[in-house]
Amino acid sequence: MTLSKKEFSILIEIIYSIVFALIFLPYFYENQEKTLILMDGLIGKTIQIIICTVIYFSIAYSVLEVAFKKKEPRDERDDMINSKSYKLGYLLYEFSLFIFIGYVCSKFQNKELLNLTGNQELYNGFQLTDGGIVFFILVLLVFISIIKSLYQFYLYRTV
Amino acid sequence: MILKNTLKEVRQKKGLTQEELGANVGVSRQTIISIERYRYKPTLELAMKIAQRLNIKIDKLFYFE
Repeated sequence: MTLSKKEFSILIEIIYSIVFALIFLPYFYENQEKTLILMDGLIGKTIQIIICTVIYFSIAYSVLEVAFKKKEPRDERDDMINSKSYKLGYLLYEFSLFIFIGYVCSKFQNKELLNLTGNQELYNGFQLTDGGIVFFILVLLVFISIIKSLYQFYLYRTV
Repeated sequence: MILKNTLKEVRQKKGLTQEELGANVGVSRQTIISIERYRYKPTLELAMKIAQRLNIKIDKLFYFE
């Protein structure tokens, strides 16, 4: 199976998303109970993510440019494939946010109900922190990014 | 009705490679391959460009079957 330059660049994106999920998401998972201010080393982690991302993409695209010296023009087929895959990503993101907002609303409602019943222990355990929201949104972004890129790759192979 | 084409035969008759034709009309080799395999339906603009480059009427190049 020979892959084109565009297909390789999609694979680079997929690998990045998976590596990001494996290396950086555990940090946000461990801190999802905390608020952003109380997260240990959040600024350091953010800087680490930015530096790693820049280094990864610089190296990956440099290797790609060396391997495929010929420039491939961007044409209407690329635009069609991109519009289809980004549309899928956008729809998934919108749908997931809709579900997330519903989840947050139901959680607040349940918390109020627990307050009314006087169950203080459960009431205190029912927390939705901004760390949790950040973790959820990051998981969502990684998941949607992988789905979008896989669909894009599939279209490049089949269209 | 499926939109088919005689692109491969006409191109080969004119002695052009997929890469050359793609470069002449401003698309990639993969796009020419996709059109020849009936996987991708080009826009009218691209179809006109290809027909013009191959010096053939567009209805001889693209047809319904």
